Amino acid sequence: MDFHLSADEEALRQAVEVFVREELIPREAEFAVAPDIFEGSRWKSRVKNSDDPEIKLYLALMEDLEHKAKSKGLWFLDVPKEYGGEEVSNVAMTAITEELEKCAIPFEIGNHVSNILYNCKGEQIDKYLWPCIRGEKTSAFGLSEPASGADPSMMQTTAVPEGEYFIINGTKMFPTFADVADFVQLFARLQGTKGREGVTCFLVDKGTPGYRIVRSIGTIAGTEPCELVFEDCRVHRSQVLGEVGNGWSLNQAWLGARRFQVGIRAHGMALRVLRAVADDLRHEPREAEKHAAAIGHLLGELEALKTLTYAASWRADRKLDVRVDAAQVKLFGSELAHKVVDFALEAIGPTAMRKEHVIARAFRHARARRIVEGPSEIQRHIIQRALFREGTALLELQ
Amino acid sequence: MELQLTEEEKLIKETAAQFVDRELIAREGEYLKQRQPFLPPGAPMRRELDGTVKSDLMGKAREIGLWALNLPDALGGSAVGNVAQVLIHREFGRSVLPFQPLSIPAFLFESKYGQRLVDGELSLSLAFDEAHKSGTLSHLRTLYRQEPEGAILQDSRIDVIDPDADLFLFPAREQGTQRLGLFVIERESSGLAIVDQADLTTDSMVARFSLFQCRVPNEQLLGYEYEAGAIIASEQLRIAARSLGIGMRCLTASLEHARNRVTFGRRLAERQAIQWMLADLSMEIRTSTWITLEAAWRADNGLPYFDEAALAKKRAARMAFQAADTAIQIHGGYGVCKEFPFEGFYRETRLLRLLYGQEEELDRAVGEKFMRQQATGNRQ
Repeated sequence: MDFHLSADEEALRQAVEVFVREELIPREAEFAVAPDIFEGSRWKSRVKNSDDPEIKLYLALMEDLEHKAKSKGLWFLDVPKEYGGEEVSNVAMTAITEELEKCAIPFEIGNHVSNILYNCKGEQIDKYLWPCIRGEKTSAFGLSEPASGADPSMMQTTAVPEGEYFIINGTKMFPTFADVADFVQLFARLQGTKGREGVTCFLVDKGTPGYRIVRSIGTIAGTEPCELVFEDCRVHRSQVLGEVGNGWSLNQAWLGARRFQVGIRAHGMALRVLRAVADDLRHEPREAEKHAAAIGHLLGELEALKTLTYAASWRADRKLDVRVDAAQVKLFGSELAHKVVDFALEAIGPTAMRKEHVIARAFRHARARRIVEGPSEIQRHIIQRALFREGTALLELQ
Repeated sequence: MELQLTEEEKLIKETAAQFVDRELIAREGEYLKQRQPFLPPGAPMRRELDGTVKSDLMGKAREIGLWALNLPDALGGSAVGNVAQVLIHREFGRSVLPFQPLSIPAFLFESKYGQRLVDGELSLSLAFDEAHKSGTLSHLRTLYRQEPEGAILQDSRIDVIDPDADLFLFPAREQGTQRLGLFVIERESSGLAIVDQADLTTDSMVARFSLFQCRVPNEQLLGYEYEAGAIIASEQLRIAARSLGIGMRCLTASLEHARNRVTFGRRLAERQAIQWMLADLSMEIRTSTWITLEAAWRADNGLPYFDEAALAKKRAARMAFQAADTAIQIHGGYGVCKEFPFEGFYRETRLLRLLYGQEEELDRAVGEKFMRQQATGNRQ
């Protein structure tokens, strides 16, 4: 048993550590007052169209950081080798995200490539995958509907074959950044199918006749997910991602891929919140004394989250079944981050509710994270189902 | 990273698992059904493992290398590292039978009692003063004065669990210098009295270990601050590992019962209240397993590990208590019956949570350290 990173992973982690120390931390104060839109992931696609001079300023800073990271070879880390990337391990990605999260600037290394796009075939590769890898195109993910969120098997959007085309009808709720995305990964079912059967994934370009973005909806976390309507939208069969009728596995793969990042991000955000609490209490010894045990407890829980996330990442690298690991990381991480933020508000008081305060921001994000990409209840369901199926063998050491 | 067990670790784990299944769990029925009639005041109430069974088990454990875990082969031990010890104690935790493999610190083996301890002729208890409670050496009350021929221990009264032992290991601070000494003392030494023996609510005993003007020869001073800290950390790892085993047993049994038990026409396994209790428990078991193994791995690799061992103990013991509580709830009336292991686990784990670091005490130390680091601008 060895908990050390491998030599390659450690070298990469150190490179990112240096980058964070030299490039990000000196700019942290500037970003402390940045608009909400820079919080969370995939900010680029949304702000690139803005005329607001303040947003343009932050965008320029971010682009400068991207340029510097690229010049140090820190950009295409999780891209497979066959697409010119480094194809680093899940453990390495967890380690570099841990380093990035030590700074409050929401800077991610690499372009956001939806993992299921690696199923692109033929012309799809040049049209969608390569531009996403290069950061020229962004995608949205259309799965939830007005009447089906946590349980996507209830989706009602239909795809009816007509010659070389499919005719798509239905409504999709909450694809984030759909309004600025170049295309949407749309899930629809073949007419007459039920449950997981017949689900098919289409790549639908913005501007395709019959595809409308009705509105974007503000949320507590500052993201603005959209409502999409498809009315007799004709999509050529060459736009099917993967196989017709085989889309269910793609939606599952998409949901599973980001879990470990979710875990280590929750860890990083919560740790920053606790640092803010400690900073604040430094001048109030009585309060510090009062809250020391609570802070210590939460730090211990964060340590456990970190170890759980690394172990799950390692299992993923070993190609072991990580569905339960992923559910546990998501559940434990999002619930814990929420507890930390809740405590921080109690410890600091109303000051921390000021909109720009690091804790107030975390407060709004933490609440959304217990819902998005599968609410806590669904994670518990996934865990118990596997537990009753496989018993405690599930938890045995290999 | 390589979290797969090595072939050797797998073998050790399998050996321990088989021993626990065949020798301990197989004997549980008899042990649990010991009659505990209403007794007159003062009579022993606790369940005990029969003396001949105990020595029989010891012999068998020793034969297959599950004894004197940290001593080299040449000295009659198994010479396994901390990770392997966690794997072993984790298996033993699956049984309520009060039998665990012995670990003897190397420095104690080098004392004149070493071989007799390994052979089971002598038994040892830890009289760790306030560290039993706080998990740190900062609140010790026992003081000693160094004289040329030995240490003179001042007046001190400490609670000690398992007071039947022949030898006691305990830390004390030198008056003035505050230097810590780790001493071993024989039960019959003059100046040592063991009084007020009483039953604990677990099936063990507690007594007052009382020192008054007690003289201990120099050869019985076995270690200093680090050795005493290492004893605490290894106790914490042992408790954490045992807690993992208790958690696994409670979860396994609860899953089995929930699959079979029917209420109002549906199996318990189909009830969400039951499903979620077990889902949460499985998550706690997994996180506690990894942090316990990580702390043990750090110990094996010469990295600092005292804080990690303390955290592992805190989380794992709390998890095991929750596991016992959940198992009792799911088993209903059977859960509180003494013929089932769960009520015993429940009593035991409540004590484990208190030993070598009450939760709040450990949390406070971590929180204070973090705030000190934060003041110096250190980003962990």
